[in-house]
Amino acid sequence: MIDLLWDNLDYAASMVLFCIGLYAVITRNNLIKKFMGLNIMETAIFAFIVALGVVDGGNAPIMGEGAAKPFINPLPQALILTGIVVAVSTTALALSLVIRIWRQCGTIEADELREAE
Amino acid sequence: MTSWPPLLVLFVLTPLVGAVLTPAVSDTSGRRSWEWALGTMLLTSAMAGALIMRVLDEGPFSYVVGGWVAPYGIELRFDEFSAFVAVVCLLGLLAVIFSRHYARDALAPGRIPYYYTLLLLNMTGMIGFIVTGDLFNLYVFMEILSLSAYALVAISGEKTAEMAAFKYLVMGAVSSLSILFGVGLLYALTGSLNMADVTGRLAGSAEAPLVLAFAALTLGFMVKSALFPLHIWLPDAHAIAPSPVSAVLSGLVVKVGILGMLRVYQIAYGSGAIDLSGLNLMLTWLGAISIVMGAFFAVFQDDIKMMLAYSTISNIGYIVMGLGLASPYSLIGASVHVFNHALIKATLFLGAGALIHQTGRRTLTGLAGVGRSMPLTTAAVSIGAISIVGIPPTAGFLCKWYIALGAMQAEEPLFAVALVFGALLIFVYYIRMVNAFYFRKPQEAGAPAVHEAPATMLVPVLILAALCLVMGVLGRLPLSFIEPAVTRLLAPLGGG
Repeated sequence: MIDLLWDNLDYAASMVLFCIGLYAVITRNNLIKKFMGLNIMETAIFAFIVALGVVDGGNAPIMGEGAAKPFINPLPQALILTGIVVAVSTTALALSLVIRIWRQCGTIEADELREAE
Repeated sequence: MTSWPPLLVLFVLTPLVGAVLTPAVSDTSGRRSWEWALGTMLLTSAMAGALIMRVLDEGPFSYVVGGWVAPYGIELRFDEFSAFVAVVCLLGLLAVIFSRHYARDALAPGRIPYYYTLLLLNMTGMIGFIVTGDLFNLYVFMEILSLSAYALVAISGEKTAEMAAFKYLVMGAVSSLSILFGVGLLYALTGSLNMADVTGRLAGSAEAPLVLAFAALTLGFMVKSALFPLHIWLPDAHAIAPSPVSAVLSGLVVKVGILGMLRVYQIAYGSGAIDLSGLNLMLTWLGAISIVMGAFFAVFQDDIKMMLAYSTISNIGYIVMGLGLASPYSLIGASVHVFNHALIKATLFLGAGALIHQTGRRTLTGLAGVGRSMPLTTAAVSIGAISIVGIPPTAGFLCKWYIALGAMQAEEPLFAVALVFGALLIFVYYIRMVNAFYFRKPQEAGAPAVHEAPATMLVPVLILAALCLVMGVLGRLPLSFIEPAVTRLLAPLGGG
């Protein structure tokens, strides 16, 4: 069991990170902290998918001098680049919403906002 | 013309380019951006028509983007389920027409061009999601769709709208991550992202990661479609958004979850690598609970749009139950209800939007007696109400009938009972609405004289109401259209 965990440490780490993020999203009252939790979850998934493409002792798949097999799979990295763009846009939208909520309500604590409603 | 290959990729690009250019062509009054959005939607709708003609002629077809052949490049694929783009384009077009006066009154002038940009981006995401054959591409289009939807909910700039948008955003982002995780796992198992290719390679994969992948995908799509325990974001977001946006959100955006589930089923059934009977049982129960709970909450709402929002949860329950029962009839019923519910809910939301716009009130008590001053709009809303209850000559009847037949076919008559019980509850709250419109006296004697909505609002509502009736009378058409797709979906299970 321990060996299995040790061999797949990268996957286990992203799972732990994911759960930390989810915990923050669910339990935090502050909207910014809630969103930071979401960013942690995003990072966890991105790390997981990038880790999928890693080959032990692999080289960067770039042509030219010193290019030797085995290569690291570049596709997950390309995918996650797109994923990061999506995450950045989500963050930008969320932060602008938080700013507007703060301007209108004077607070960004979820429980106080619920009372204000 | 209909078999011209690049049409499929242009179909996705047209609303995208239109969306990006909207702020550039607009003027201060917002008139030009409306015309531009209208033109874009007309062009897109014409393309949708041509593509559907082609799928009728020759069955599913695909387009290879950039000449990179299927497992390596991105494939766009158009099958019978993709015919949902017809409703997408129709609703998008009508929502744009409806917005002409509505947006001018409900939004700050500076926001109008961006409103149309977001609406067109939403259409792009929807269309792309439906026609793509690539799993990661699916995620990207889903995010275009979701991000524009969050922004559209918040666009009116009211305090509650921004709160609702934030809640929607957090739930939506978590579900998107869940879907991305599932896609990543499928890629790890098969080394491919093309849906057809993944289906072929899944057989013989290790069971645990496969189950995890399908669980993550299902969870994500359940949140997107607001199935019962995960529905909490929906009522606020759909009720507070501007009415044309509500129509698009309720009619189309929640269907993304359903269409995503259909794609998941296509992969799972096609590969035969995983037994989904446990998932099906869960979806059937959650669907049944959604039907009853959605209807139950709706009965207690006084706000007309809030009521419609809860009714969406109930109707998603019908569709998911139909998917979960997994018998041919229930799947046909569920797929057609995806189409018909979009029409019906758009009728109701646009109609309600017209009522709210003209009277300035949004509660049933406030709208009492409105049937006298706005007879056409109220008649259209009433037709929508009758359709959604599922009374025979209307669009809602056939799908619910087919799902009930499917429950019998799957030898689960209990769920047919849940369906009828849900329909009765729905009947109760729509009767309340119709009663308020026609048979109650207006509350305030000194209320300003209300008259019919302008033509740009009235015509879309009337077209949709007419379609609710037409789809009820010509119900065989969509049923026989979707049947080959359902037969193909269930074929690996031994004919269902």
